[in-house]
Amino acid sequence: MIPAIAIQDLGYAYPDGTVALHGITLSVAPGECVGLLGPNGSGKSTLLRHLNGILPERLTGAGGAVAVHGEPITSANVAAVRRQLGLMFQDPDDQLFCATVREDVGFGPQQLGLSPGEAATRVQQALEEVGLVHLSHRPPHHLSNGEKRRACLAGVLACAPSILVLDEPTSGLDPRGRRELIALLRGIAATKLIATHDLELVVELCPRSIILDGGRIIADGATTELLADEALMLAHGLERPHILQHRHPHEAKG
Amino acid sequence: MTAIFPSSPAHGGRLFRWPASAKMAVALALIFGTALVPAGWTAWFEVVALLLVAVMVLGKIPPGPVLRRLLALSPFVAGVALAAAWHPGGTLGWKITALRSGLCLATVILLAQTTPFGEMLAVLRRARVPALLVTTIALMQRYLFVLADETERMGRARASRTFTRSRWFAWRTAATVVGQLFVRASERAEHVYDAMCARGWR
Amino acid sequence: MHIPDGFLDAKTALATGALSAAGLGFALREVRRELPPRRVPLLGLAAAFLFAAQMVNFPVAGGTSGHLVGGALVAALLGPAAAVVVVATVLIVQCFLFADGGVTALGANIFNMGLVATLSGYVVYSLATRLLPGLRGRVAALAFAGWCSTVLASIVCAGQLAWSGTVAWSVGFPAMAGVHALIGLGEGIVSALVYLAIARTRPDLLPEHDAPAARPGRIREFVVLGLLATLGLALFVAPFACPWPDGLDSVAARLGFEHKAMGALLPAPVADYQMPGLASAGVATAAAGVVGALVVFGLAVGFSRLVVQKPPSGAADHA
Repeated sequence: MIPAIAIQDLGYAYPDGTVALHGITLSVAPGECVGLLGPNGSGKSTLLRHLNGILPERLTGAGGAVAVHGEPITSANVAAVRRQLGLMFQDPDDQLFCATVREDVGFGPQQLGLSPGEAATRVQQALEEVGLVHLSHRPPHHLSNGEKRRACLAGVLACAPSILVLDEPTSGLDPRGRRELIALLRGIAATKLIATHDLELVVELCPRSIILDGGRIIADGATTELLADEALMLAHGLERPHILQHRHPHEAKG
Repeated sequence: MTAIFPSSPAHGGRLFRWPASAKMAVALALIFGTALVPAGWTAWFEVVALLLVAVMVLGKIPPGPVLRRLLALSPFVAGVALAAAWHPGGTLGWKITALRSGLCLATVILLAQTTPFGEMLAVLRRARVPALLVTTIALMQRYLFVLADETERMGRARASRTFTRSRWFAWRTAATVVGQLFVRASERAEHVYDAMCARGWR
Repeated sequence: MHIPDGFLDAKTALATGALSAAGLGFALREVRRELPPRRVPLLGLAAAFLFAAQMVNFPVAGGTSGHLVGGALVAALLGPAAAVVVVATVLIVQCFLFADGGVTALGANIFNMGLVATLSGYVVYSLATRLLPGLRGRVAALAFAGWCSTVLASIVCAGQLAWSGTVAWSVGFPAMAGVHALIGLGEGIVSALVYLAIARTRPDLLPEHDAPAARPGRIREFVVLGLLATLGLALFVAPFACPWPDGLDSVAARLGFEHKAMGALLPAPVADYQMPGLASAGVATAAAGVVGALVVFGLAVGFSRLVVQKPPSGAADHA
């Protein structure tokens, strides 16, 4: 079975020389939902930016360490990759760059070259899926944080990607916003890779987790196992989530 | 500070639904006419004033904010004072100038109140204004509120830690705030570019 | 310096509109040619930055405060063509969204602040940095450029008002140039301080950070935009710089209400921009301008010494 995402020995250094990623190797099967955990500065965002070809800054024609649906990302196929893999960024204000919500959600379909009618249908569907139809005429700066996140999600969903990659989707959200977003994510059928500090979210949505620290993969396995390992969590700037703290250790396994 | 920002044209009654191109064309005609007709055409000014009042009534636009904007614009007030002191046409001359300025100002304010900015941009695009300029205007309008908020927050943080009344210190820290704004704007520009590319922009 | 509607007549509005459209069109083409795609959003964000920066208070005296205009600063940070686009964008949005500056005057405002201020600021900055090396040199250069750009823009503005018959040149020029010679000092200082703040935290964002070979040639921009600015100066300023009393003045003298122009409030050492002792009024005005500019240049260099500490000897300051 061709993995949705396959990364083979990926390394990356910033222009100033700091090495951000060392020999990353992982794969995500189609339909999986995987959590990506790690302390600040571990390289999560940098890794995610490699998945749709934003990094490295110069894509070669030969393709590098990252393959999406079996195809290595090259300068030639990066547009096609972005059709299939939608990336939701950490700061919603970076992603909502149009004058109104509806216009922003329509940006993707428009860039994909859909006809105006088809684009409008996609936009309407995406807005309905996230529950923002009543706010579609608002400018982004008139939305709450939770509404902005949902608008970003709609913008990505309107492109109908088969893989969804999210960078800290619940950061800065109040409990209700968080609940709504988690419920939405649960209902989306795509392959999902979620980088987050929200350990409760990971336990709820992601059967599998990967821990990243210092640009290296520390652990990759079942969420309940990894997150219940208190020593492992503390060693890498994380902690055992409350939701698992009250389970008996042998209940947490398997 | 948010008071200086125009309120979103969420109301506007029936006028709101007119096509933006019509509203812009009418507004431009009124402004150019009012600014350039000979001073003797007092009938023109009367008609325009009546039209503006009609727009406010039809559009259900409360007069208070409009009048406040008219009065609050200090460059305009200073300009009128300047014209008053030195207008070659004497007192009648500066009164006409003030009238022209006021009517044109009111027209622009009402246009902004009855037309969503996104629609005005669409009109510009259809009018074949260079795409780079339209995109720049669009991004500016989108992010000026974000940056203005950041400015306010930095200003408050700065004030909370200022214990001296030295003007020089105030200038240095204000300049640091502005410098930081540029850095943040540059970083955000990179992120926006990444976000645009992520959804297929070339 | 935003001119409202009603202050300019039809011919001035038309002329400034045409010049601005040409200048902006050219600047857009240059930017499209030169700017790498990943920097396109930077134009819009820089415009938003300029708008927000113009809201920051710089306390002056009592309760008043000054504000940055930023033409020279943006030109130093982004290059002249991009600066033209950025400032023009700010003026367009200010005009239609905030009713700041008239619609019929948009051409004039873009010409003054978007073309004259940015271009003159850039030219002065470039030339001055050739004379004064290092970070300290750039800070001094920008301080001086900020002042020059403000004064020049105000003079062209006065010319436009005079050409429209709204404010006589003999009154408008000393008023505008005089006031802006003072305001320009603030503009210069603030521009320089902001540049310094950026140089201290993120020098990689400054154009000087790129290797000289990687920097795009600016000759074409100089020539074309410079030509446009010069045309404007010829149109709006040259007729009035002539020492013969202009049309309005002579009318005023004949009709007997010339005395209504108010006398100076303070005795000035170089009254009416005439160097005392020089015969021809035109030459005297020019000489006064040159002396004033040299004084400000000296002030700018002194200012840069105050604010930029020389790094310990041996360390190269190539920030």
